Amino acid sequence: MVIVKRKELSLAEKLYLPEVLRGLSVTFRKMFEPKVTRQYPEEPLPKTEVTRGQPRLVVNEDDAIACVSCGLCEAACPAYAITIDGGETDRAIEREPKRFDIDMLRCILCGFCEEACPKDAIYMSDELELADYSREALIYDIEKLKRPKAALQKRIDYVNRINKRWQTPSST
Amino acid sequence: MSTVQRTGVDDETRTKRTFEYAPGVVDRDDPLHGELLELNMGPQHPATHGVLRIQVLLDGENMVKVEPDVGYLHRGKEKTCESLGWRKFFVHTDRLDYLQPLMNNCAYALALEQLGGIQVPERGQTIRVLLMELSRIMAHLIYLGTTSIDLGAVTMFFFTFSEREKIYALLDAYTGHRMNNTYIRIGGVYADVEEHAEREIRAWLAQFPRKIDEFETMLTGNRIWYDRNRNVGILTPQMCKDWSLTGPNLRASGVEWDLRKQQPYSGYEHYEFEVPVGTIGDCYDRYAVRIEEMRQSVRLAEQALDRLARTRGAEFLADDRRYVLPPKSTVHTSMEELIHQFKIVTDMSLPKGEAYHAVEASKGELGFFVASDGTSHPLRCHIRAPGLMNVQAIPVLAEGRLFSDMVSIIGSLDFVMGEVDR
Ligand code: SF4
Ligand code: SF4
Repeated sequence: MVIVKRKELSLAEKLYLPEVLRGLSVTFRKMFEPKVTRQYPEEPLPKTEVTRGQPRLVVNEDDAIACVSCGLCEAACPAYAITIDGGETDRAIEREPKRFDIDMLRCILCGFCEEACPKDAIYMSDELELADYSREALIYDIEKLKRPKAALQKRIDYVNRINKRWQTPSST
Repeated sequence: MSTVQRTGVDDETRTKRTFEYAPGVVDRDDPLHGELLELNMGPQHPATHGVLRIQVLLDGENMVKVEPDVGYLHRGKEKTCESLGWRKFFVHTDRLDYLQPLMNNCAYALALEQLGGIQVPERGQTIRVLLMELSRIMAHLIYLGTTSIDLGAVTMFFFTFSEREKIYALLDAYTGHRMNNTYIRIGGVYADVEEHAEREIRAWLAQFPRKIDEFETMLTGNRIWYDRNRNVGILTPQMCKDWSLTGPNLRASGVEWDLRKQQPYSGYEHYEFEVPVGTIGDCYDRYAVRIEEMRQSVRLAEQALDRLARTRGAEFLADDRRYVLPPKSTVHTSMEELIHQFKIVTDMSLPKGEAYHAVEASKGELGFFVASDGTSHPLRCHIRAPGLMNVQAIPVLAEGRLFSDMVSIIGSLDFVMGEVDR
């Protein structure tokens, strides 16, 4: 336990004016320090693979998304932003979504969908800016959500890296 | 609170100091004396730190009656928890006291872990301590910035915000978001701290104490700061107990009560740190206690980093398939793990029972009470938000004082409406 000091004012501090000058000297010194402000749209924030931007569907080498419309991301989404309608497909994965909408106005970029997906079909991109003229335009459908795998590769590697744990299946 | 120890000043001195400066004595010659004026402060007043409305009955410049009115930011978080389920509520805890999202995450996770009987691995606990201490510094920086801008020290606001910005940049690079991190999971944390992140946090911590000195140059001996905070809003330990005030507000009154010491969680018992306490319990003491708390947080965070360096590569998430998602790679190959994945995401249930866990948040005791009937949705989730108690203390401190003291009192009690109204 430490008892915090209650400083009593010295004469100079009571007189106030000398202290104003001292305070100003701190302020003036700041003028010669490097600027900390950022001119935002021109100078965007650094984006790394850790950045959780808007979720996107990965388009694999076979030009199709890996999603099997299992609905797990829909169930995991705390903002109820995802709507999926499943359907059959002739591809080897047998099922694919007929409709896969993410309401970007609802999405809170939490990353739960990415965490839940058992097929590595959905990943958080580093796209953060979101603006449009109507609400409808911000409900993204499959076409708007598709991103080539190369664009998301850094994030995919990151997710694989942080998931390197418990390499042996557990007994529980 | 039987182990509470009183320190510092005895009651008599305290009372004497309370009345040293007695604006409660109404100036009888004031021509406006006796003419009461009802004034609404807020909900859009910038000095009420959010959407708090305070009804003030003024007699001249003296406040006769003060009534805080909360609820403008009510979003029904506790009910939302019941309808969303255990896992999904994590994102909502971020938005309670939005100045310390990681602290709220931890408090909620700890309550669930207590209910489910889950052991968090040591590294997971250490990461949590690191994140909690960074959150505390972040929240105290906001307190310092907003309170001083309310009292006219505009420069301070920018000093504190530029420091806070640096922590945000660190958290952004490490957790993926600046605010609303949603980084804590049941059983541990989402991802490990990588070496470069540790290095960057350490570098920031090394320069931060100098910045605290700079803040102190601007405020501690500042005549205006001194006059507006000294002997204003005095809280006695008894008043703190009566109004269930905790955290820095309680400690500033000279009571040594810190959950990190009294009921250690997440391994706080292994860390070396001091609990700062005040003597009088006025706004100035509350300021001094928070400044010292930031210094102690730096110490704690540095120790946590040392421990992280020792346990590099160890588990940071409990190996418990009832509550913790299996790693992605095994989900692809093992049917059993796939079932776990589905089960946890759609229907993770906690055993029947009740649990309460509190952490020492930046504003006081932040507790989560959770009751489960054994299903995937909580029966009840109650949040003990320290901010609400801090708001309750406003009338007690403000009545009978000058209206200009209100700003110091509101600032020094420190609350965030997101958590008060929840
Ligand atoms: S990031 Fe979160 S809110 Fe957004 S779609 Fe995924 S789960 Fe839903
Ligand atoms: S994105 Fe993943 S979790 Fe969502 S429906 Fe498709 S396969 Fe399932």
